[in-house]
Amino acid sequence: MDITAETVAAAVSKVASARGKGTLPNVMAFGRALKQLGVKVSLSQVLDASRSAEFVDVSERGDFRALLRANLISEKEDFPVFDLLFDCFWREQSYERMPMETMDIQGTPTESQAPEGGDEEGGLEEASAESIANENVPLENLDEFSVPTYSAQELMNRKDFSEMGVEESRAIARAILLIATKIATQISRRKKISRRGQVIDPRASMRRSMKYGGEVIDLAKRKKRIKKTKVVLLCDVSGSMDCYSRFLIQFMYGLQNELWGVETFVFSTSLSRITHLIRTKNIVDALDKISGSILGWSGGTNIGRSLHTFNRNFAPSMVTHRTVVVIISDGWDRGDVSLLEKEMHDIKRRAKKIIWLNPLLASENYEPLCKGMQAALPYLDMFLSIHNVNSLVSLGRTLQKMVA
Amino acid sequence: MNPKQLTIEQVQEILLREKYVCDRSLATVVYLSLVMGKPLLLEGEAGVGKTEVAKVLAKVLGARLIRLQCYEGLDASTALYEWNYPKQMLHIKLEEIERGDKQKVETEIFTQDYLVKRPLLDAIQSEDAIPPVLLIDEIDRADMEFEAFLLEVLSDFQITIPELGTIAAKQRPYVFLTSNRTREIHDALKRRCLYHWIEYPSFEKEYEIITTKFPEVETKMAQQICAFMQKVREMNFYKRPGVAETLDWASALIALNRKQLDDKSVVETMGCVFKYREDLSHLREQVENRQFSIDALLRASPEMVS
Repeated sequence: MDITAETVAAAVSKVASARGKGTLPNVMAFGRALKQLGVKVSLSQVLDASRSAEFVDVSERGDFRALLRANLISEKEDFPVFDLLFDCFWREQSYERMPMETMDIQGTPTESQAPEGGDEEGGLEEASAESIANENVPLENLDEFSVPTYSAQELMNRKDFSEMGVEESRAIARAILLIATKIATQISRRKKISRRGQVIDPRASMRRSMKYGGEVIDLAKRKKRIKKTKVVLLCDVSGSMDCYSRFLIQFMYGLQNELWGVETFVFSTSLSRITHLIRTKNIVDALDKISGSILGWSGGTNIGRSLHTFNRNFAPSMVTHRTVVVIISDGWDRGDVSLLEKEMHDIKRRAKKIIWLNPLLASENYEPLCKGMQAALPYLDMFLSIHNVNSLVSLGRTLQKMVA
Repeated sequence: MNPKQLTIEQVQEILLREKYVCDRSLATVVYLSLVMGKPLLLEGEAGVGKTEVAKVLAKVLGARLIRLQCYEGLDASTALYEWNYPKQMLHIKLEEIERGDKQKVETEIFTQDYLVKRPLLDAIQSEDAIPPVLLIDEIDRADMEFEAFLLEVLSDFQITIPELGTIAAKQRPYVFLTSNRTREIHDALKRRCLYHWIEYPSFEKEYEIITTKFPEVETKMAQQICAFMQKVREMNFYKRPGVAETLDWASALIALNRKQLDDKSVVETMGCVFKYREDLSHLREQVENRQFSIDALLRASPEMVS
C-alpha cells in the first residue's frame, strides 16, 4: 500500500465513527487505522496502550506519542507510517480535548473548525497528489519507450515466463520449493540427540542411566543439526526486466513463503524492502500491495546506488556469514560502475555466497559485456541463468551440489 | 527507591546520575516498562547503548542484574533450568545402600533442591526486596526455537517444569531485551514487549554524553569529536561507529593530553573509531586528499552554548 497523506486521511475518516469519549475507544480506533495502513497490531497491544495511558500525562504530546509508539509498533520501518497517522489522527484541536473525556467528534467545536481543517487537508492532498503525479510522468514515459530490445532470438527466449499458464505456474512453484530447500540447508552448531551421532552426550547419558539405577548402560550420542541459511533476495524490476516481472514476483513470493528468514528487496533506480508486503497467504494480495507501493517499477536501472542503499541501511544487520545474497538482474546498469564494484565488494565480505541470476545468460550468443555485469562478475560465487522452468530446475540441482 | 513510583523525569534523572544520557522518548518507554511490568525490546545499531540501559537501571534501582547472553545453540537447559543429574544419582545410590523406600526416593529427587537454576528461572524465583532486572542480550543471536521458551516467561512470568508443575513469579522482574536485528524477531514475542529503536545520537546529545562521561574534556575538543562522528556516520564506511566508539576515542584523546583535534591526531588515534582495515585506509585517503577537512567540519558544525 502506498502511504501518503491521502491514504492516511482516508484511514482516519474510516474509523472516525468508532471514536468516542475517553482513551480506550480512541486508542482502539487509532489501532484500527494503523491496521488499515498495513501495520500489524494485535488487540492485546491496543489494550496495553490504553492501559499505559494511565501512567503518563497524556497532555504531553511527545510522551503520548512515545507511549503509543512503544506499545503499538514493533518494527522501526513502521515509524514513518505511525508518525503520519499520529499527526493526522490526534490533531492539535481534537487532541487537547481527548484526555478531558469530553471529546466529541460530532460536537460543535469540531464542526466549526471543519471547513478550515478541511481546506487545509484538501490542499495537502492536492499537493501530494500533484507531486506524485509529477514523479510518475517520467516513469510512464519510460514504460512506453524503454524496454530495450536485443535480438529476436532473445525475445523468443524471454517470452516463456511472460506467457505463463496455470501449469507452468505450478511447475515453477515446485522448482522454487526445491531451490528453497537447497539454498537453505546448512549444518548447525546446535546438536541434537541421535542414535547415529558421533559425540557422546554425558548429560543425556546420565539421565538415561537413571532407569537402570544409575548404571551407565545406554550411551546417548549427539549429532549436528541441519541449519537454515538466510537468504536476501535483491530483484531488479527496471524496464529492461519488464517481461520477467510476473515470474519475478512469483519467484520472490514463492521463496519468501517457503523459507523463514528471507528478506526481499526490489530495485530499479532506488531500493525498496518488500518483505512485509509479500508475506501474505495469497499471491494476488501480494501483487496488489507491491504494485501499489513501489515507485520506479519499470524505470531505469542504477544497480550501484541501489546496492549502496542496501549496504548502508540493511546489510549490517541482515547479511551475516550465513546469508546467501541472490541478485536477479540483467546487469544493464545506467549508474556509476565503480560504485557498483565497491558495493559488490562490501556484500562479498559480509555474505556467505553471492548468486547472480541473469535472464539473458540463456541465449547462446550472450556474453556479459555490459559494464555493470563485468564489474560484478569477480565477486560472484555463482552466475546462472534464469529464464524458464527448466533453468529453475537446473538451478536447484546446482545449488544442491554447492551446499553438499 | 520504589521503581513503580518514579516519574518520567525521575527516570531520566536517575539514569543521568549514572552517566547515561537518554532522551525523553526513551525515558518514557523505560518508565512505562517499569510501571506496567511489561518487557522492553530495544533495537538499534551496534554501540548505541542498548545493553547499557538495563545495566545502568539495575545499578540505580539497587536491583540485581541477571544477564542472559544469547548465542546460537542456547537452549532450555542453559536458559531456564536443568535437573542436577549427578546429585540425583548420588541420592539414589545412597538410598540403595540404606535400602530406602522407592516411592520416597522418586518424590525426593524431583524437588527444588535438585534443580539447577538458570537465568530465567532465577529471575522469576527471585525474592529480593527489589525485583531483579533481567537482561536478555542480543536475542537475535539465539535460534528461533529459543524465542518459544521465552513466550511463557515473558507473558505470564511463569515456567512450567513437567516434574514439578508451574512455577509462577512471586514478583515480576524488569525485563529488557536487546537485538541487533541480524534477523527478525517473531511477532508473538514482539507483541509481548514494548518497542523502542535507539538512533545514533544527534550532535547535541552526543556532546552531552561525552561531557557527562568525561567532565574534564575540553569543550572545543568535545565539539570537534561530535562533529567528526556526525560526519563520519553520513559517509560510506563498512562499519559506522557508535557511541561506544566515540567514548573510546574521547578517552584515548584525553589520555594523550590533546586539547583539540588536528589531522595528525585524528589519523593516529583512528583505531578507536574504525575497526576495519578498509575503513581506516579510506579515512586516511580522505584526509590526505583534503576531501575531509576537520577545520571545515568544525566551522560547519552547530554552535554550542557552553
